[in-house]
Amino acid sequence: MKTIARAVFTAALLLGTSLSAFALERGGTLTYGRYADSLFLDPVLNDANVDIWILSNLYDTLLLPTDDGKGVQPGLASEYKLADDGMNLTLTLRDGIRFSDGSPITPADVAWSLKRAAKKDNGIWGFMIESIDDVTTEGDKTILIKLKHPDPAILAALTVFNTAILPQKQFEASPGATDEEKAKAFAEHPIGSGPFVLKSWDRGSSMKLVRNEYYWAKGEDGQPLPYLDGINFELIPDDATRILKLTSGEIDGAEFIPYSRVNELKSSGNLNMELFPSTRVAYITLNVRPQLGGKDNPLSNPKVRQAMNFAVNKEAIIQIVTHGVGKPQTSYMSTATPLHVGDKPLYPYDLDKAKLLMKEAGFEGGFSTSILVLAGNQDEIAASTALQQMWAQIGIKLELQQVDNPTRTQQYRDGTFVMRNAAWTDDIADPNEITSYFVYSKTIDALHTGWKSDEADQLFEASQKEMDPKKRAEQYARMQEIYNAEGPTVPLYETPYPVALSKKVHGFLQIPLGNNIFAKTWKEK
Amino acid sequence: MSADWAAARSAFRLKALPRSLVSGGVILGLSLVLALWPSLLAPYDPTAFDYSALLAPPSWAHPFGTDNFGRDVLSRVIHAYTIDMQIAIFATIGPFIFGTIVGAFVGYAGGLWEAIFGRIVDATITFPFLVLVIAIVSVLGPGLGNMYVAVGVVGWVFYARLVAAEIKVQKRLDYADAGRVMGYTPLRIIFRHLLPNAITPAIVYWVTDMALAILLGSSLGYLGLGAQPPAAEWGVQIADGKNFMNTAWWISVFPGVAIVLTGLGFSLAGDGVAELLRVRR
Amino acid sequence: MPLFSFVIRRLLQMIPTVIFILIVTFILVRLLPGDPASAMLGDRARDADVERINRQLGLDQPVVVQFFYFVRRVVTGDLGNSIGLKVSVSSLILQRLPVTLMLTGMSALIALVLAVPLAFIAASKRERLPDSIIRGAFQMGLSMPVFYVGIVLLTVFAAQLKLFPVGGYGDTLGDRLYHLFLPALTLALSFAAVLMRNLRASIIEVMNAEYVDFATAKGLRSRVILFRHILRNALISTVTLFGLQIGTLLGGAVITETVFAVPGAGRLLIDSIYGRDYPVLQGLTIALAVLVSLTFLITDIVQAWLDPRIAR
Repeated sequence: MKTIARAVFTAALLLGTSLSAFALERGGTLTYGRYADSLFLDPVLNDANVDIWILSNLYDTLLLPTDDGKGVQPGLASEYKLADDGMNLTLTLRDGIRFSDGSPITPADVAWSLKRAAKKDNGIWGFMIESIDDVTTEGDKTILIKLKHPDPAILAALTVFNTAILPQKQFEASPGATDEEKAKAFAEHPIGSGPFVLKSWDRGSSMKLVRNEYYWAKGEDGQPLPYLDGINFELIPDDATRILKLTSGEIDGAEFIPYSRVNELKSSGNLNMELFPSTRVAYITLNVRPQLGGKDNPLSNPKVRQAMNFAVNKEAIIQIVTHGVGKPQTSYMSTATPLHVGDKPLYPYDLDKAKLLMKEAGFEGGFSTSILVLAGNQDEIAASTALQQMWAQIGIKLELQQVDNPTRTQQYRDGTFVMRNAAWTDDIADPNEITSYFVYSKTIDALHTGWKSDEADQLFEASQKEMDPKKRAEQYARMQEIYNAEGPTVPLYETPYPVALSKKVHGFLQIPLGNNIFAKTWKEK
Repeated sequence: MSADWAAARSAFRLKALPRSLVSGGVILGLSLVLALWPSLLAPYDPTAFDYSALLAPPSWAHPFGTDNFGRDVLSRVIHAYTIDMQIAIFATIGPFIFGTIVGAFVGYAGGLWEAIFGRIVDATITFPFLVLVIAIVSVLGPGLGNMYVAVGVVGWVFYARLVAAEIKVQKRLDYADAGRVMGYTPLRIIFRHLLPNAITPAIVYWVTDMALAILLGSSLGYLGLGAQPPAAEWGVQIADGKNFMNTAWWISVFPGVAIVLTGLGFSLAGDGVAELLRVRR
Repeated sequence: MPLFSFVIRRLLQMIPTVIFILIVTFILVRLLPGDPASAMLGDRARDADVERINRQLGLDQPVVVQFFYFVRRVVTGDLGNSIGLKVSVSSLILQRLPVTLMLTGMSALIALVLAVPLAFIAASKRERLPDSIIRGAFQMGLSMPVFYVGIVLLTVFAAQLKLFPVGGYGDTLGDRLYHLFLPALTLALSFAAVLMRNLRASIIEVMNAEYVDFATAKGLRSRVILFRHILRNALISTVTLFGLQIGTLLGGAVITETVFAVPGAGRLLIDSIYGRDYPVLQGLTIALAVLVSLTFLITDIVQAWLDPRIAR
């Protein structure tokens, strides 16, 4: 038995090696078509996915998310230990790690970077590490993080872009008086420790990265990563042009392929149409305040919301909007989010039940309402047009209002919107971010809907300090139960990230949190 | 009154209406019929879904195929006539009338008036049009009515500038001096004598402008600022079909044909009108 | 010296225009719903973050005070920093505006090359087959939405025939002209159609006018008539039209630049509207206004040169 097992093991090892090492080729530059340009390459002060999703290529973090986006693996820190009481975290830096300018990464840089990220009112991401009380160093390798309270998500938080490690000296030597001014200057020529370094950036057009000679991780051939010599990000905002540029061979990959083109590209001979699992969920947000614009708001009635949920034919929406790419949601959070619970689609289509609920709620005759749609966004237009038809069946007359993003955000934040289209992706491998926005009423009023559940609020607060994984899972199970039953949303679908790559490109990964990982990407000549 | 005028008149009497006016008129007449009574010819409800026929190619049941909601493209193209003909007319008639009147006065009066209006015209034309439209629509809310307002605020100056330039040339000509010598009022000189000669470029532009208005409406529809779903409008239909150009060309091609055809109608009619005015004066 | 004083007068006239636009833009951008902070931070913004950023940007002060600061900076030539892109507005404009200028200039050139000869042919073969074909073809160019024409041209000439690159913007001047040809052609089609129609109408009108008859009577050869009289007179309206259309061309550039991935001012403009990037929006609007004013000035000078009666 032992011999067989060993033989199998050896074979698997050989197979694994041959599969990957056989074809592995180093060098070359990958050209990747992006839909929008980055804005600000500072890990702490940035605001948008266009920055977040590529930042990890420039700046490395102490810990890294696993490929499935659910767990944590070592990054700049080779070892980490959370004390039993959950109040102290000890991290050990890797040996000989350096920034992209060749200077060593010291515990002092780490302490300074973490403190900068945790500083109140410095950027908008600090809430994820609000539990950090103090960061101290010990020797030339050890970092001690003291917490204000036990934080079950602290390890996951140390994988998030805002905790990236920057060189203190070089940052502070940047021109400018304030942290923000220095950050602006520093981010023009960032020095980090990710697999790549920014070489040039022609705003609105292209961004060129070259390999970081000092990157710590090793490839399958035992040599340092990355395999590529460089990446050219080309900005091609129009979907059709981006795809055309890919099919004509001018670029090697393209992100955000519209769902309507996915099947077409799947059958194309020289492309790999990748659908990377994601934490993205698409939903309709309903304002549930009792009064809206001086009138009684039917959406404040949970039965009306349930009726609206039952009246939505999710399969049809998935066909119409995502062309079969999406899946029905089984909870408000995606199946790729840790501690997700649920195996059945929420609210299976049931028109009779919807009509009955409307009757019970006293809205047999229906009502008129409206929904905000992002102007020109084909997915939102399609979903809303479909909802208009479906809700007409239970007497709800829906008016579509296309507005631009700031207009919608204004109404959203003011709590004056009626309904809106929305989508969400996690930034952290923990359910606490989505739950804090969706469920917990003290963050942004549960998606600015005015919805509130005292039980859910208490559960969330407890779960933020609960170090027993089993108890925390139970808390999350209950929160999902409450929210899915009477929450202020109409869940539509969850979708993967559609990325099309030339068949010559291997080893590219977009993790469920959205990060584009180019470290192990390589390209056939 | 020269001999040429008399000759031209008799030529007008002898000849039938310009051919382009007739063909343009026929196209526009038919378009107007479709715009006023779309339900007569449209086989289906333009907003009704058919999940069993998503993206169906043209067939006997759906001569123009169906779109990604299973809506009948033919019915949507026909119903779009109502909205697009409305855009062509409502977005241009106000600017045309107002701009022509202002342009005529400014061109004739000259001096300080010209200077003042010159500044207004300059400021309006030089202001990026798209910023203004997006701003107005954002403040007033999306929809066709507010789109007309936005287009009108800018549109009139084009006519004013064309007419003013032409009037300035005309008023130097002998016959205008003759009118002044004969003691006609400025109003009479402008409207009876100068304008008929000066308005041709404005009319030619107007008819082109109607076609342009449909295009602008479709561009704004593409940006989400024009007609709101589920209403059928050619520009919105083409934008909807953009992602399906390789797999379901019929969604965007048929509305495109409708735009070209209607535009052709306007341009033929415009040329015809220009010819008619030229012969008459 | 009449031309010189004419130019000086027109340059002075630009001052009130620019001031007017300055005020209108300043008010208009603040009337837009939403503020830069919520545009930047998006859906996840918390009230405290939005307030803090608006305070940092000085947007919590009274509008009059903001305007005062704005004017004071503009007078010293400082257009401020972009809120979203974190770089100076003047450098952004200097980077993006030449791209759009090159694009619109090229498309105007293409439009002229297409429209002038074909308008002559159409006018001289009026109401006959060549006329119908030319007008029909231009009508198609006029009626197709820019984003659609762009994709069709890209598919045929770039992706399939590989004659041009699929969008983007080169590094050297020659490379850039090569990259810009298809977008310029896309933009040119509708302008060429407007130009051709107008030119054709003018040529026909001039041909019918008395002085051509007179010239014919004098026994001049017909080709000389065409060139001396018709061309000169027809160009007057064309030049007027060009001045009028420059704004439309710039508007079309917004969509063209998006489709062809050209990093021009049109896209910057629309991004700054949607991003509520007040400094960029204000700076770019003023820059564009000055630019269009200068175009008008040039068209007026050309007009005066073509027809001295106007400048009188």
